Amino acid sequence: MNSRRIRLAAVSFLNARPITYALDPERFEVTFTEPSVCADLLAAGQADCGLIPVASYAAQPGLRVVPGIAIAARGAVKTVLLVGAVPWPRMAEIALDDASRTSALLCKLLSRAQGFAPNYLRVDHAEAARAARGDRGALVIGDAAFDLSGYPYVYDLGAEWTRATGLPFVYAVWAGRPDALAPADVAALQRSLAAGLAARGTIARAFAEGRGGDAKIFERYLHNHIRYALGSDELAGLSEYFLRCHRAGLCERLPEIAFYETAPVRARVRRDALSAAAAGERLCDQDAINLYERAPLGELGCAADARRHALHKDGVVTYIIDRNVNYTNVCVTRCKFCNFYRPPGHPEGYVLSREVLAQKFRETVALGGVQVLLQGGLHPDLRIEWYEDLFRWIKSNFPLILHALSPAEITHIAQLEGLSVEKVLERLHAAGLDSVPGGGAEILDDAVRTEVSPLKCTTDEWLAVMRAAHQLGLPSSSTMVFGFGETSQQLTGHLGRLRTLQDQTGGFVSFFCWPFQSEGTRLKKRDDTSAARYLRVQALARLYLDNIPHFGVSWPTMGPDVGQVALRYGGNDFGSVMIEENVVSTAGAHFMMDAAAIERQIRGAGFIPRRRNNRYQYIS
Amino acid sequence: MTRFVKVREKVYAGVPLDLDDGVALFRHPNLPELGMLANQVRERMHGDRAYYNLNLHINATNVCVADCMFCSFARLKPGDPGAYTMSLEQAWGKLRERAHQPITEIHIVNGLHPDLPFEYYEELLRGLKRIRPDIHLKCFTAVEIHFFAHTFGMSYEKVLTRLREAGLGSLPGGGAEIFAPRVRRKICADKATTEEWLDVHRVAHRMGLRSNCTMLYGHIETFEERVDHMLKLRALQDETGGFQTFIPLAFHPEGNALARLPAPLGYDDLRTYAVARLVLSNVPHLKAYWIMLGLKIAQVALWFGADDIDGTVQEEKIYHMAGAHTPEALTRAQLEAAIRAAGRVPVQRDTLYNIIETPPGPSPRRLEVVA
Repeated sequence: MNSRRIRLAAVSFLNARPITYALDPERFEVTFTEPSVCADLLAAGQADCGLIPVASYAAQPGLRVVPGIAIAARGAVKTVLLVGAVPWPRMAEIALDDASRTSALLCKLLSRAQGFAPNYLRVDHAEAARAARGDRGALVIGDAAFDLSGYPYVYDLGAEWTRATGLPFVYAVWAGRPDALAPADVAALQRSLAAGLAARGTIARAFAEGRGGDAKIFERYLHNHIRYALGSDELAGLSEYFLRCHRAGLCERLPEIAFYETAPVRARVRRDALSAAAAGERLCDQDAINLYERAPLGELGCAADARRHALHKDGVVTYIIDRNVNYTNVCVTRCKFCNFYRPPGHPEGYVLSREVLAQKFRETVALGGVQVLLQGGLHPDLRIEWYEDLFRWIKSNFPLILHALSPAEITHIAQLEGLSVEKVLERLHAAGLDSVPGGGAEILDDAVRTEVSPLKCTTDEWLAVMRAAHQLGLPSSSTMVFGFGETSQQLTGHLGRLRTLQDQTGGFVSFFCWPFQSEGTRLKKRDDTSAARYLRVQALARLYLDNIPHFGVSWPTMGPDVGQVALRYGGNDFGSVMIEENVVSTAGAHFMMDAAAIERQIRGAGFIPRRRNNRYQYIS
Repeated sequence: MTRFVKVREKVYAGVPLDLDDGVALFRHPNLPELGMLANQVRERMHGDRAYYNLNLHINATNVCVADCMFCSFARLKPGDPGAYTMSLEQAWGKLRERAHQPITEIHIVNGLHPDLPFEYYEELLRGLKRIRPDIHLKCFTAVEIHFFAHTFGMSYEKVLTRLREAGLGSLPGGGAEIFAPRVRRKICADKATTEEWLDVHRVAHRMGLRSNCTMLYGHIETFEERVDHMLKLRALQDETGGFQTFIPLAFHPEGNALARLPAPLGYDDLRTYAVARLVLSNVPHLKAYWIMLGLKIAQVALWFGADDIDGTVQEEKIYHMAGAHTPEALTRAQLEAAIRAAGRVPVQRDTLYNIIETPPGPSPRRLEVVA
């Protein structure tokens, strides 16, 4: 601990409050001011570290950036606006808010890229919102932008940037002199942000009380517009901005982005963690996090492949022929990452009739299908009797395994009926349910769930359904969808919850993971969802989940080629010949394969293809 | 000692691999292990860097007298459906539209047109240089150079000298396909032979021109024929040192005479890259051409020996006419983000691998293994 407190200069705007929300007063002494003043205090040595505009970072050599924290946005940012009485091309003059440096440069850059050459003048922050008149436009930043009205032309420069580059824009970062922060201080700043992110509702309400306005609007702004992670996309956006400014002669230096050392970087991986895990020894969470963050892809893959081999020595890779039937698309949860659902009352909402279902099941049987995966939205009017009748009808008419209703649906039915989850499962089991699909797990961490699917079942509810199913002797699969911007701890925490439950029940037969498919959904998170990360996550999961026997590769989202490669990164199952799939295919995944194509992929990776049932038993 | 371990020892000791070694690597069942070995060699040569460039493709004509079975691009005779030949103005226009962009290279590969005069090609290059004197022209495969020599009655050296005077900067590596005579007879009997292809590059290298080299894999060739192909390239490289980059090209089966064959799978792509890195040890770079591999496999290939991901590739026609489903161009920002997402450091290069810019950004974090 330092003998004197570290002097921080921080932005007073709403968007910075999650970052400064829980700064430890014993460690930090904070001055709140405008962004450009933060940079001045830092330059003058009156602050040790500042939340400064990235343009000021570029102007001051020798600074270090605190990793992982930014004020950024992909697309509309809402609080960097160019406004005017005339359209942008006709603005002869633009008044630039004096509080801003980065946005002022951004405005010049975007003007120039479109061939506009207005004159620029600087006005005081307090005046900016009123500076536009006639053919003079004005750049307004920060909280003042919330109150703007009456201008016929409003351009969100965040949206303009993303449209031009496809990348997020980074507005501000914590930066200071190299010796200003020790790893423990960096960790303290990161903890403050973590606490602030969880408290965005509170922050928005306090802000609304202080100055008036609608807390809901402010909360949406903090949740949906501002991004606080400084990840690979943000860094790409930042370096693109520096390059463009430099090329346009708007900034002299082309700065390097240098980071403070962080405590976790120093965390050590036991030399034998990887080989021990490959040999089947249980990974502890800290080793798992270190391996996930830092082990080279090849080493992780080799260890996962060794583990796969130890568990499945016969060289067989399985697949199943089944049909994914979504009995309804009506759903009350409105998850942001889903393109499939329709709210109750929507004209495109449907519940499949028995005739349609019978046709689908007959086709499935005719194509050699052995299973139906029956899932749907959380329909507010379908009662448990409806499911029981449906299940009995299916089981008495078609020779199909019924792999049906994910935990979210079962929780929903229990709530609708006022019954326990155990009772619901018992009745559905009696009506013909054979096994429970593990969908809807996303990331089993309520901080992540609250953000991406606040109305869907909680972590505990998801686990409770699986526990109850396993206790009834119903096997289930398990899943993980990553790429919501979750931390390594949240990701391994998810795996940890699955492993703990599996130790108690042994009911999970399989695990599948895939990156979140964002195309066209309302969830504007763009985490790293590359194939390299998918292989890394699956390999780590194979090592960590030492008690779940089967691992399916996710070719519907990653493509058949990556799916095939993933067989050497822990996978031993090629999933399903999907006669039908409706959900990820509405979010940008468009891969389909028949049994012959799947067998060719399996053989091409050096394995023997076998068909399986829902319990992963071979069938001829 | 298993066969793989023996080969690995040779790699560590810097002993060139032979045909049997290369085939053993192709047959090695443990893909991540093979990738790791290729990655070690790759990182020893290039560290964390992944190179890309900003380039424009011009395919000035698809009229071609050769009838290669794997090609979906060529349209045999002028006037055949889909046949096109750009006027010089049209070809120059492709650059003029983009002259303000920071592209550093134009890649030109054409069909073997029976009627165009040699002056067309010279003037094509001169005109491009007039628009952007600083641009590097990487033009005409060895197959085209051989065709020019044959058609216009000149030596390779004469053809190359005249083209260099017109602005030629280096040669692309296309047209190598597979060197084995058995395969060449079947899939591309009527164009430059193996010896002719190698000879064009030999002459170019002696004149001080650099070039690239390729291999078209995943059709009817065997593993032995792939390794043999690499060894022939390695022998010429030992002699001249003029190859910069090896580019394995995956066969795409749509719209051509080999459409009954399936396309190679991701597993085979990665294996081929890894073996290429290990066998072709004297060619400095290995390019994962994302247009053909798809960006996802190209990203993974950066861990299987590849150190280059090609460029922004505007106006690519040849692979898209063979069913490549990749976008036709990526912005520099998208390419950089893809490289970073794969855990590598993007470095912008020019055609001759001079570094233009290492964009700012953190180095990827690496495993720090301690006791």
